[in-house]
Amino acid sequence: MSLISLFATPDPTQTHSWILPETSEIIYGGISSTIVFALLVKFAFPLAKKALQGRTEKIAKEMSDAAQMRTDADTEAGDIRRAVGDIGNERTRLMAEADVQSEVLLREGRGRITVEVAELEAKAAADLVAAASRIGDELRGEIARLSSTTIDKVVRATLDDKAQQDLVESFINSVGASR
Amino acid sequence: MSDTRIESYATALVQIAQAEGVLDRIKDDMYRVARAAESSDQLRSVLNDELIPAERRQTIVESLLEGKGHPLSSHLVGLVIGSGRGRDLAAILDIVAARGASESGMNLAEVRSAVALSADQQTRLAAALSKRTGKTVDLKVVVDPSVVGGIVATVGDIVIDGTVRTNLDQLKSRL
Repeated sequence: MSLISLFATPDPTQTHSWILPETSEIIYGGISSTIVFALLVKFAFPLAKKALQGRTEKIAKEMSDAAQMRTDADTEAGDIRRAVGDIGNERTRLMAEADVQSEVLLREGRGRITVEVAELEAKAAADLVAAASRIGDELRGEIARLSSTTIDKVVRATLDDKAQQDLVESFINSVGASR
Repeated sequence: MSDTRIESYATALVQIAQAEGVLDRIKDDMYRVARAAESSDQLRSVLNDELIPAERRQTIVESLLEGKGHPLSSHLVGLVIGSGRGRDLAAILDIVAARGASESGMNLAEVRSAVALSADQQTRLAAALSKRTGKTVDLKVVVDPSVVGGIVATVGDIVIDGTVRTNLDQLKSRL
């Protein structure tokens, strides 16, 4: 029974069954359903399948990209860890090199200071000797000068007439005696 | 002045004195003037000063001889001074004195003493120097206080030094 005939019938009791439709209705309905189903199979399913496949591929691609990103992240993390390790090694190497250089500098500095101190000591010793010698010379010179002046004065003071005559007589006698 | 020129002037003076026959007399005058010129810078300066007339300078020489010198002595000295050789006067006159002594068969013996020597001391010293040098000496004594004490005698190239001055100098040198 069609919908039109159903609404046109004022009395539901005149139908053969209130659950099952009319045969023609089943036939037309079945054919219509089949046609709709076929159309769906023909046109809608491939689109849906294609859409599903595309979504699947997209998800797979996203998963693959995610996996690649993770791999890249792992690689980068490894690089970073390696770099961190390298930095540690470089730091250790630089520290060791700095220690060596500082040791060398200290050794050279100590050596240079030792040499300079030795030179200063030698110079100071030489200066002391020179100063002592100079002072000694000056002292000797001063003593000699004072002695000369003193001797001159003493000799002149002691040379009275008698001494002068004695010197003259001594000269005459010594000249006459020596031939 | 060169030694040759000094010798030439001295020779000329000696020859003039010999020609006049007074070399033995003037040698003592020459020696006295030489010593005076040697010991006085002022006298040398005056005798060399050409702004002072030669006559004036000759008068000064005569005053040095105190009127006891031979007249030719002052003329000979004036000759040297007038020739502008006053700077070498002592050297020239010393040679004349030495030549005069040599002409007399003697050697000039210059004796410098701090004090004057008596005649007896001069005689004994001349004898001692003659004995020492083997030459007859004509003794010329110069009182020279710079010798301090004792005597230094020079006979030609021979120098006999017994002065206190030399001994003091040696002592100072050792000091």
